[in-house]
Amino acid sequence: MKKLSKKTLNKSFLSWFYGNLTCFSQEHMQTFGYLCAMLPVVQELYDTKEEQKEALKTYSAFFNTEPQIGTLVVGITAGLEEAKANGEGIDGETINGIRAGLMGPLAGIGDSLIVGTLIPILLGIALGLSGGGSPLGAIFYIVVWNALMFFGMKFAYSKGYEMGGKAVELLVGEQAQAIRDSIIMVGTMVIGAVAASWISISTSFEIPGIITLQSTLDQIYPKLLSAVTVIFCWWLMTKKKISPTMVMLILVIIAFVGVLLGFFDPGLSY
Amino acid sequence: MQINLIQAIILGICACLSSMPGLGGTTFGNYTLGRPLVAGLIVGLVLGDMKTGIIVGAAIQVIYIALVTPGGTVSADVRAISYIGIPLAICAIKGMGIDPASKQATDMAATLGAAVGTLGTVLFYGTATVNLVWQHMGWKALEDGDFKKLYLVDMGLPWLSHFLCSFLPTVVITMAGSSMVDLMKVYLPMDGIAMKTLFTVGSLLPAVGVAILLKQVITKATDFLTFFFGFTLAACMGVNLIGAALIGGFFAVINYKIQMLKVRPAVAGAVSYDDDEEDI
Repeated sequence: MKKLSKKTLNKSFLSWFYGNLTCFSQEHMQTFGYLCAMLPVVQELYDTKEEQKEALKTYSAFFNTEPQIGTLVVGITAGLEEAKANGEGIDGETINGIRAGLMGPLAGIGDSLIVGTLIPILLGIALGLSGGGSPLGAIFYIVVWNALMFFGMKFAYSKGYEMGGKAVELLVGEQAQAIRDSIIMVGTMVIGAVAASWISISTSFEIPGIITLQSTLDQIYPKLLSAVTVIFCWWLMTKKKISPTMVMLILVIIAFVGVLLGFFDPGLSY
Repeated sequence: MQINLIQAIILGICACLSSMPGLGGTTFGNYTLGRPLVAGLIVGLVLGDMKTGIIVGAAIQVIYIALVTPGGTVSADVRAISYIGIPLAICAIKGMGIDPASKQATDMAATLGAAVGTLGTVLFYGTATVNLVWQHMGWKALEDGDFKKLYLVDMGLPWLSHFLCSFLPTVVITMAGSSMVDLMKVYLPMDGIAMKTLFTVGSLLPAVGVAILLKQVITKATDFLTFFFGFTLAACMGVNLIGAALIGGFFAVINYKIQMLKVRPAVAGAVSYDDDEEDI
């Protein structure tokens, strides 16, 4: 009965933690990171070079997901490889099927939950701590983010290893869904506050004696122009399927026309 | 303000570490060193003006608050934003004599950062393309059973890709860029249309960053209410970001409990299953 040592699992985890994307290409995105992570596992489980080579073939297939949440998959395959080496009726094809089946859904969850929610929440708080050029925000982000990710990924790896395919329940079960929805809710609120605190679009349009547009707008809803601009950009991207770069170019045109018409005036001088 | 060779080299190394796909690893490289706010601190320290660095980094951070790279397609390159854009913005702000704490400074930083970041995508595709060579060597090593070489392929050789596509561009552009500020000052007067447009664009750009994020998290119209709840907290009630996060957390807990009420009847009896998941 073969059993992977703690040391090997640790080495495998660290290889993935560091090397998941270091040798990225459009053709094989995280494949080499994956191979490096599985190498210690395979070397411990199989004695001959031929067997090792055969086992590594499984992991030569294309792999790409959100690499941080994807640690779970690496853990799962380490567990499966161990079972395979013990002759528990699992073959390379099964492992690859599980691996390929998980990377898509996990990429979706990871992109929206980690990159699209957790990072913005942390950065939002960090921005709040950066007022007046204070380094506190950046330090807060560096410490909290790295600690959360290192231990979170370690947890995901060992859960994946211990629970195998069942570990996915941790991410897609109903309770996980409820947690995810709630975290996204905080994220959406924080990003609302970030928008209100860090976007300040104002107009210089006025007809002397009759209307000063900005103060009229402020009476309706503070920061109205910022809110409208955000929704406009969102509409362009979501409903019109325009890329962020194109949206930026559209804003350049709007700014140019706005300046010409006297709608925008940053009030500059040397 | 000039950037000297040693400063440029440090920035160049940071660019190698921080890119996506960077040599600092995903978590510490791309998602830590690559974030404009963190880069603002580092660049500020390197250039000897931490305060301006952080102000510039924070301004650019808002635009890229959620830089998701689904399936390896990027709309902006973090190493270019953070280690080319931020130093140039600092030089521009100092060179033009703009007060770092003013709105003009943040607008200027936002425009420069976004422009450099967009052009920098070429560096991303460059790195990924050069890596193909190392991967080719990796397949051969695998065939030969020369497994140790896999580490070299994954973690060692990409340094060469980054020397070409991260280090050199950063060193050259930051050193050349600092003298371009003087040219800008001569040819683009502050009260001209070009400069006014440039600064106005800077004030509009953060809206794109927030919109990119909303595209991810808003799935139905009522989600906008959540967004505007946060917006209103800050805009009308003056709640700061930490306060908003706490209030958001409170509502999230309520939301979680309500959702679990819907789920619980179905999983009643599976108590141990629940306990397992408390750790998440």
